[in-house]
Amino acid sequence: MEPEQLEPFVWRVPVGTVDGMRVPGVVYASKELMDKAVEDRAVLQVANVATLPGIVGASYAMPDIHWGYGFPIGGVAAMSVDDGVISPGGVGFDIACGVRLLRSELEWERDVKPKVGELVHTLGRHVPRGVGTKGRMRLSRPEAQKLLKDGVRFPLSRGVGFDEDAEFCEDGGALDSARPEEVSDKAYQRGSTQLGSLGAGNHFIEVQVVEEVVEPVAANVMGLFEGQACVMVHSGSRGLGHQVCTDHVAVMDRLMPSLGIEVPDRQLACVPLAHGAAERYLGAMAAAANFARANRHVLADGVREAFQEVFGRSARDLGLFLVYDVAHNLAKLEEHVVGGRRTTLCVHRKGATRAFGPGHPELPAAYRSIGQPVIIPGSMGTSSFVLVGTAESAARSFSSTCHGAGRAMSRHKAKKVMSGHDLIRKLEGEGITLAPSHVKLLSEEGPYAYKDVSEVVRVCEGAGLSKIVARLRPVGVVKG
Amino acid sequence: MGHELLEHTADLGLRGWGPSVEAAVAEALLGLADLMGVHAVGHGETHEVRGQGQDDGSRLVALMNETIFVVETRPIRIVGVWVRRDGDDLLAELEFVGSDEPGEGIGVKAATYHQLAVDERPDGSAEVRVFLDV
Repeated sequence: MEPEQLEPFVWRVPVGTVDGMRVPGVVYASKELMDKAVEDRAVLQVANVATLPGIVGASYAMPDIHWGYGFPIGGVAAMSVDDGVISPGGVGFDIACGVRLLRSELEWERDVKPKVGELVHTLGRHVPRGVGTKGRMRLSRPEAQKLLKDGVRFPLSRGVGFDEDAEFCEDGGALDSARPEEVSDKAYQRGSTQLGSLGAGNHFIEVQVVEEVVEPVAANVMGLFEGQACVMVHSGSRGLGHQVCTDHVAVMDRLMPSLGIEVPDRQLACVPLAHGAAERYLGAMAAAANFARANRHVLADGVREAFQEVFGRSARDLGLFLVYDVAHNLAKLEEHVVGGRRTTLCVHRKGATRAFGPGHPELPAAYRSIGQPVIIPGSMGTSSFVLVGTAESAARSFSSTCHGAGRAMSRHKAKKVMSGHDLIRKLEGEGITLAPSHVKLLSEEGPYAYKDVSEVVRVCEGAGLSKIVARLRPVGVVKG
Repeated sequence: MGHELLEHTADLGLRGWGPSVEAAVAEALLGLADLMGVHAVGHGETHEVRGQGQDDGSRLVALMNETIFVVETRPIRIVGVWVRRDGDDLLAELEFVGSDEPGEGIGVKAATYHQLAVDERPDGSAEVRVFLDV
């Protein structure tokens, strides 16, 4: 496979790379990141996605691209609503997995550093984590149905969180298209005990310090300043979302032969957007997305409680306000300009973040002048970033940018680099306090297992997909 | 008979093999229990899970996902797995004991259809491959 370099950070995967490609692939990457993506076989997955019916423009991949299942992680595919398809694999099992950032009025050196050990371990007590863990809120079936419809408005109605939190979530914290009746009993069973739990794997809560402000105007609008303590939450829709994807992929896998659809990888299972199965999936997916937003909202409530306990002041007094909450695994109906004509597309983002530019009507009024905040988590020991969307990204990637560092090494290889105990010692030597749920699994998520996140966001900026606003350094990590 | 992990950049795969498709599928299910940290020894009660689908690959994925559901919603340790055919379906009997502790292994979200394979040889022996989202 020989992708063509069109610009310093833009590569084309030509039609014909695999049989049946309807559009080219476009990968945003530096030479080094592109070489890794080719070696990883992820670029082949970009080409596979380009075979899906009704795909518009190109099969895109962000600079954090790596091998996924069906879609590459970092993949973006926009489908025509007239003759395109929806593929649950283009969203993934962790529907609306995403990130939220809380700012504070606390300064790292003066306020947080002297108490960081106590703070990290208090956060660990307030935030349930690990495999299958029970969450901070239990839900009856009617409550769960209401939550799947109302998203963050449900915990807000129970007095959990600040009223203004909803405004600073993507979609105001709830997708109105949710259809809780399309969520299976099994999904309800998996999710009803897990609201307000972090999960496992790469999910985390980090205490971070704003190390560098790159774009002062946007940072000021978001309330960010150098030396400030912030908290980043990375989690998703837990077992409920996993089961929704499982249920609907199985349905589509069964339906495809009768619909005459063939795909190069069965995990690309899909049906036309006009099909009833697509409507049912999109309704269930939106319900799971609302669960994910509410989950991060309830986790943030645990963060606020922990800060109150450690600093002896209310969360409002500490200025623990939401900067933004955004997903990086989702499919959404969005308006885009194609061939000079405004049209509705179903945009799949699998390990990619929506990044609307300034002036977009869906942004909170406070951010309309600067563009949508994009929260990019690092990898437990490396920087995280706050970006903003650009107007340019609308034409380049259907308003999408990266979602994180992107894995570079398998779990097996990562475990061979060092043990969990050695990693804790190493990170503590770098001034990072850790509270892992399982020490033996920690090294799978070590910084060495990921690409260089600084390079990833630099490429995003160079390609015009987003702009860097601030760089944040981890000082305390609560791992799932 | 046996099972082993397969490398994947972000996730993990499982390969199971045995003297029949059913035995290879049972090995893959034991591999899943190992991965999730819920495989133990002993004797307990049995729970039946059904794998339905249009071919053995989709039946394998269905059985894996049913097992993930059981493990996530019940505090158990799996001590044995037996797989047999029941009409067009694959049926797995999971023998398990109760546990007060969650599994100490990797959180598995689901089994996928990515690079899914069920290969039966002329002598009836078989090998299966399935990738998991972790």
